[in-house]
Amino acid sequence: MSENRKKILEMLAENKISVDDAYRLLNTIESAEGGRESAPKKATTVKDKPKYLRVTIFPDPEHEKNQDVDRVNVRVPMSLLRAGIKLSSLIPTDARDKVNGALKEKGIDFNTRNMKPEDIEELIESLSELEVDIVSAKGEKVKVFVE
Amino acid sequence: MNRPPVWIEVKIQGERGGCRLWLPLFLLLPLALVVFIILSPLILIAVIILWPSGWGRWALSVLRAAYNILCALRGLKVDIQGRRETVYINIL
Repeated sequence: MSENRKKILEMLAENKISVDDAYRLLNTIESAEGGRESAPKKATTVKDKPKYLRVTIFPDPEHEKNQDVDRVNVRVPMSLLRAGIKLSSLIPTDARDKVNGALKEKGIDFNTRNMKPEDIEELIESLSELEVDIVSAKGEKVKVFVE
Repeated sequence: MNRPPVWIEVKIQGERGGCRLWLPLFLLLPLALVVFIILSPLILIAVIILWPSGWGRWALSVLRAAYNILCALRGLKVDIQGRRETVYINIL
């Protein structure tokens, strides 16, 4: 029994608080403890850092017999994405200004200078939730996911 | 520490033919390193000459970025089987 619950029961026994108050306090403690217990569980269920971006396209098994189908299986390491994004820091200033200007013309207010390594990591970690699963009219299965 | 890939396998097959390539990088990279060491005095002189203009630092950044990209290629796998072409790239 937790210390807080013991104190509440002692106060009830000494008639310092009413039964309703004790019930309310116990409920509050339970919900607080329940939140604390689920937090570590949540931490353990957090996915590991994503390592690969996968893109797969597989045909319908019935069409596969025809051998007139496309099959794609691509695995891109996340480290390659990181290295590619970091390459943007090597773009000369003149070229970067042109890129930013072209983006702005299209209505995208984005400055490539503002990209930081922390932002890249946050972007890659958020990709761990990415999952695209499409079945086309021809039965082709297109999947984009992270592992 | 970033480690470069040890093996590259490339297979491209089309209607007009194809090619197959196996590159044991664990043998080629040491040779490349030796060539780099031999050329390093020239590279160093070039960097020193370009340093005041800012291009020297940029050149060193490019070398570092190229090495990082080479190391990041480990694990890349592309397997495309089309109706007329087949492309297979595997970097270990």
